[in-house]
Amino acid sequence: MTELVTTVSSLQQAEALLSAGADRLYLGEDYFGLRLPHSFSREELSDVVSLAHAKGKQVTVAVNAIFHNDRIKKVGEYLAFLQEIAVDEIAVGDPGVIYLLQQLQITIPYIYDAADLVTSSRQINFWAKHQAHAAVLAREIPYEEMVPLSQAVNIPVEVLVYGATAIHQSGRPLLNNYSNFVQEHLEETDRERGLFIAAPHHPETHYSIYEDVNGTHIFANNDVDLMTVLPKLWQLGLQRWKLDGLYADETTFPKIVEAFNQARQLLDQQTASNEELATLDQVVQQYQPDERGLDLGFFDLDPDEVK
Amino acid sequence: MQNIKVKHPEVLAPAGTPEKLRIAIDYGADAVYIGGDAYGLRSRAGNFSFEEMAAGAQYAHERGAKVYVAANIVAHEQNLAGAGEFYRHVRDAGVDAVIVSDPSLIEAAITEAPGLKVHLSTQASATNYETLNFWKNEGLERVVLAREVGIDEIKEMRQHTDIQIEAFVHGAMCIGYSGRCVLSNHLSLRDANRGGCAQNCRWKYDLFDMPENGQKRELMGHGPDGKLEKFSMSAVDMSMIEHIPDLVEAGVDSLKIEGRMKTIHYVSTVANVYSTAVRSYCNDPEHYQLDPAWVDELWKVAQRELSTGFYYGVPDENFQLFGKRRRMPHYAFVGQVLDYNDETHQVTVQQRNNFGVGDAIEFYGPQFAHHAQTVKDLFDDEDQAIERAPHAMQVVHFTCDQPVKKGDFVRAQEV
Repeated sequence: MTELVTTVSSLQQAEALLSAGADRLYLGEDYFGLRLPHSFSREELSDVVSLAHAKGKQVTVAVNAIFHNDRIKKVGEYLAFLQEIAVDEIAVGDPGVIYLLQQLQITIPYIYDAADLVTSSRQINFWAKHQAHAAVLAREIPYEEMVPLSQAVNIPVEVLVYGATAIHQSGRPLLNNYSNFVQEHLEETDRERGLFIAAPHHPETHYSIYEDVNGTHIFANNDVDLMTVLPKLWQLGLQRWKLDGLYADETTFPKIVEAFNQARQLLDQQTASNEELATLDQVVQQYQPDERGLDLGFFDLDPDEVK
Repeated sequence: MQNIKVKHPEVLAPAGTPEKLRIAIDYGADAVYIGGDAYGLRSRAGNFSFEEMAAGAQYAHERGAKVYVAANIVAHEQNLAGAGEFYRHVRDAGVDAVIVSDPSLIEAAITEAPGLKVHLSTQASATNYETLNFWKNEGLERVVLAREVGIDEIKEMRQHTDIQIEAFVHGAMCIGYSGRCVLSNHLSLRDANRGGCAQNCRWKYDLFDMPENGQKRELMGHGPDGKLEKFSMSAVDMSMIEHIPDLVEAGVDSLKIEGRMKTIHYVSTVANVYSTAVRSYCNDPEHYQLDPAWVDELWKVAQRELSTGFYYGVPDENFQLFGKRRRMPHYAFVGQVLDYNDETHQVTVQQRNNFGVGDAIEFYGPQFAHHAQTVKDLFDDEDQAIERAPHAMQVVHFTCDQPVKKGDFVRAQEV
């Protein structure tokens, strides 16, 4: 069975997402997790967990930041809290957290998520040996590489099928440093501010950029949309699909999730046609924010194209 | 009074070629790191064959130094076949450790080349002591810290783990967490984590928002010179020469110098300065004083301005390259001493860059030996007086007032 994992930005949106067909909600607090649509307080988090569980759905909490000493110290207590509220899974990218899970004998399953660094079946199986029960595949893996990878992995692999792809994380406040240099104060540098950068000689490009407690983040030019190639993923058995609504409109993101849910149902019933997927893709495009494009990311690249 | 000595950390220098390996060790490096034919991040650096590795390891071991091989790519499915064999060859060449980032390659090294020591590369961005403990449990000998870690954080790590700690002290820096940047993949179709980094962070970008209907509104400002300044993410380079005591006292086991792509001039100079400073401090910490000549020396091979990175806090705008670059004195490596005749005071030099009569040159050698000299006369290999030595590898001789040693290098300030 194909699983739909979606980010969530509020309790209200969580309701809508679950109604739209999400099987698993992904959320967390900025202090512990990376690039989240909303930083959930513990109380808010508990409410979402209760809601999801009441509907028989699951929750993954992001504990995938790059931790320095000051923060890794607080992870143990956070993990205990997550265990107490019966979170179903955590996302982890720092091996220090895996070490802590063992030391503290915390039994929450984890999905290994180190952004661009998870690139091979052998690596994924390494984390499986360290009790990872799933892994998030880097967005830089083309379909051609997914084929052998999908046959060799020992645990499920999550693939981003919709949403923003992070391509850079700096520990420095790059926007503030720039604005200090030019002495033109950028009032806000957070995600809501909606800042972009364009590459030299490519004024049409629009890489989103923002700062938060984890540093500066830059995103790929367009959001990923794999709607039309879902049958290929499905056939490989790569059936844990993530939808990242970081840059989606809060109220219309569930519509996008609903479109993917319909596609998933058609595929699971083995009745999906290209025409139906194209129609569903129009729904995705309809709700995509104006200032952000959609494309297949690295999916259809020839592996030899990337040197 | 008895001198108090402290543990001497390793000075680890880059070596892009067998020649640079020998030079780095001659100039005081306690260890060098090199690349092999595969799995390295510097696909364009001169990389070592297994025979060259073995010769390099032998050269190093005879002089009490070590050799590490960087094999720190993030491997894709098709890159992994043969990894075990590669590591066995590296081990059998007598290399002291491999520097690896990708867990799949760490596992290949540990399980398929038993006995080979493994260091975690900075590309894995290790930033806390629990992460260090994780890798210690895996059997790693050492962790190269992320360049985002500060001095106080290292001290704290030292209290919670006994795995060896290596930290960068000099050279170019990534602006992002190393390994967590694929700007190059997305903007240039070159894989940053497989040796293809196009250094897109150093580009100049337009910064804008789109407040209405996807219409761009530029948000760029002007630098102090009044010129439009585009957004950039370019880091200045790092130099910790003025903070050697802090590094040693924090418990850093290995002080790493960046630059496998850099020149002989750079490698010899930087290895020389850091090994001299570390030796000076460790032999007598109480009376240690920074020699301003060390700092001057590093500036002679600097390519960008220098800073202390994250060691003393999160870097502000002064730690990035904005606006017009400050003009830096630039020195060229002009030759190497083949011989010195004590009776005639004639030095014989093999030319590496154009120099000639009237030029202010400087000889330097291991142990921070220095001699400044103006070229007063110049003769070719047939004793004919000449004004310039324009030919690469040309052998010339001229008067040098003080004795210099075979193997010493000669540099000249470019005007």
